[in-house]
Amino acid sequence: MSIMSYNGGAIVAMKGKNCVAIASDRRFGVQALTLTHDFQKVFEINDKIYIGLGGLATDVQTLSETFRYRVNMYNLKEEREIQPKTFAHLVSSTLYEKRFGPYYCEPVIAGLEKDGSPFICSTDLIGCTTFPNDFVVTGTAEQQLYGMCESLWEPNLEPEDLFEIISQALLNAVDRDAVSGWGAIVHVITEDKVITRTLRGRMD
Amino acid sequence: MPYDPHPNHEGFLNSVGSPIQHRFNPHTDNGGTTLAIAGKDFCLVAGDTRQSEGYSINTRYAPKVHELSNGSVLATSGMYADSVNLVLNIETRLEWYKHKHNKTMSATASAQMLMTVLYQKRFFPYYVFNILGGVDEKGEGCVFSYDPVGCYRRETYQAHGSSAALIQPFLDNQCGAKHQNIKEELLTLDQAMKITKDAFASATERDIYTGDYLEIFVIKKSGVTKHKFDLKKD
Amino acid sequence: MADGRYSFSLTTFSPSGKLVQIEHALTAVNQGITSIGIKAANGIVIATEKKSSSPLVDDKTLEKVTMICKNIGLVYSGMGPDARVLVDKARKAAQEYKKIYMEEPPTLILVTEIATVMQEFTQSGGVRPFGVSVLVAGFDEKGPSLYQIDPSGSYFAWKATAIGKNMINAKTFLEKRYNEQMEIDDAIHTAIITLKEGFEGAMTDNSLEIGICYCEDEEFSLPGEAGFVEGGKKIRKVGKFRKLVNEEVKDYLANIA
Repeated sequence: MSIMSYNGGAIVAMKGKNCVAIASDRRFGVQALTLTHDFQKVFEINDKIYIGLGGLATDVQTLSETFRYRVNMYNLKEEREIQPKTFAHLVSSTLYEKRFGPYYCEPVIAGLEKDGSPFICSTDLIGCTTFPNDFVVTGTAEQQLYGMCESLWEPNLEPEDLFEIISQALLNAVDRDAVSGWGAIVHVITEDKVITRTLRGRMD
Repeated sequence: MPYDPHPNHEGFLNSVGSPIQHRFNPHTDNGGTTLAIAGKDFCLVAGDTRQSEGYSINTRYAPKVHELSNGSVLATSGMYADSVNLVLNIETRLEWYKHKHNKTMSATASAQMLMTVLYQKRFFPYYVFNILGGVDEKGEGCVFSYDPVGCYRRETYQAHGSSAALIQPFLDNQCGAKHQNIKEELLTLDQAMKITKDAFASATERDIYTGDYLEIFVIKKSGVTKHKFDLKKD
Repeated sequence: MADGRYSFSLTTFSPSGKLVQIEHALTAVNQGITSIGIKAANGIVIATEKKSSSPLVDDKTLEKVTMICKNIGLVYSGMGPDARVLVDKARKAAQEYKKIYMEEPPTLILVTEIATVMQEFTQSGGVRPFGVSVLVAGFDEKGPSLYQIDPSGSYFAWKATAIGKNMINAKTFLEKRYNEQMEIDDAIHTAIITLKEGFEGAMTDNSLEIGICYCEDEEFSLPGEAGFVEGGKKIRKVGKFRKLVNEEVKDYLANIA
């Protein structure tokens, strides 16, 4: 069994109209055995950027701490908030530092840029970035999420509609993946606030 | 140096000194996706027509949904050669049944027969994932979904093949009303057609093994109609 | 740093609490050729005189105003070879920053980076302080800024300043001439006449080096999507640094007369 699917998990981020959403499941398990259903995989970088880390749980936690450290150092040194695009490149170069002994983690980033336009990004485990115009997915339910997002997503969704679409995409996707699910969390980032909601899904 | 079970082997040796094994694998996956949805008085069975092997496309039109002589429709995905032979086998048995009993086999009976045929090759299976669609004795749409060795189950909707993982959760949501606060109801034909076309269009975007054309068969008590649509060819 | 017999710092406190090595380094700077920096409303101008020891030297190859990265340039007064080492280190630091963030470094970040290097050379074993002061001109998202860095590693932001041989006179002159509304053109003009005050001989386009920092519109797309457009072309403001070519310098000199 692949290291990437040892713990399981599913994360998705989507662009909307002047907003972005990022959502993940909350399961933490070891192969087929589920241990907790309050595991954090999406982390706040600042009130305009969130990062979701999918893959091996120990690397999820290590990387989230690494990014927290690096972003704090950036904020202190530069006396400004990091921008999504800059953060994406920081993530990319952090992962590439371990090119030949990588973190088993594939991040997705969602944020709003300075001009308020939505930003999403995903990278592979050694930091190869992509910046699509619609949605990004990662985790063991990747295929299911692609199928859901490809058929549900449309351009220029308002925050409430975006919330509904991303929730439906995630909940239905994780139900067809044995190692994802057990509840979900959704963040919708808008210009003036971040809406965070936890969802109850099938607990099996 | 690892333990070598054949120390005096004179043939080709790999870098650690043990013999290289070459083995013929009789099964191959030709890709493609199939789907079926049961309605109140109809059944819809669909499949794309791309046939591929590895990164090459063998043909853009190799239909994998077959109308059977008893009026049901069999959607096959997996290994194309096996599916052709399986359909011939089934057709032969349908013919024998007609001669022996002077009636066409019902959809539910042919579903049971398909299981028997598949299980007969339990240790050298037809590498085919089947979905059988038809109209049962009560005139209601029926869908039967199989694994290659005959394990089968009646469903109201099912996707198989290379895009199954992409389409199945979408069907759960749209046909099974999963995670929606509405009662699950059987779809109308129009709804089923729309969902099928959307599902294949989406799958074609992300799955390299699905595309080219979409064939949809609609089975009613009155007979079978076939519709053909374009899918992206890249 | 290096260990062994010479691994102790050469810069040591005198009983009166001074680091005389640093003061000597500053003396070296004060014997160097004058450099000017002026902050204009829309950019920065840095300028220096290019003096060659002999008329036989091909002065086209001398370079004292240098580019560090797209948006930052510097000029030095003091010892040329020391400055070259510093420029190398500054360029490397700028590229390191860009490698991580895919973005040009903000001026202050690069200034602290250079200042840190200069400070390390006052405290490390086997090395001596740099015999240069530098004026760093940069344009970042906060606008134009001008910094001076001294051999001690201390740095200051200026509206206008001068370093080198004639700095006292030049500063007095700048104090009188400076106003915050002046634009790059005026600032270049002011820089030239300030330098002219202490100039020996005729001022030509070959004996003057000028660099400017300014702001420019640039079309952009997200990396990975060539020509990415959403709601039309996207334009952003980017800081630029460039040196004036001889023809431009000649034009400014002609206007002074």
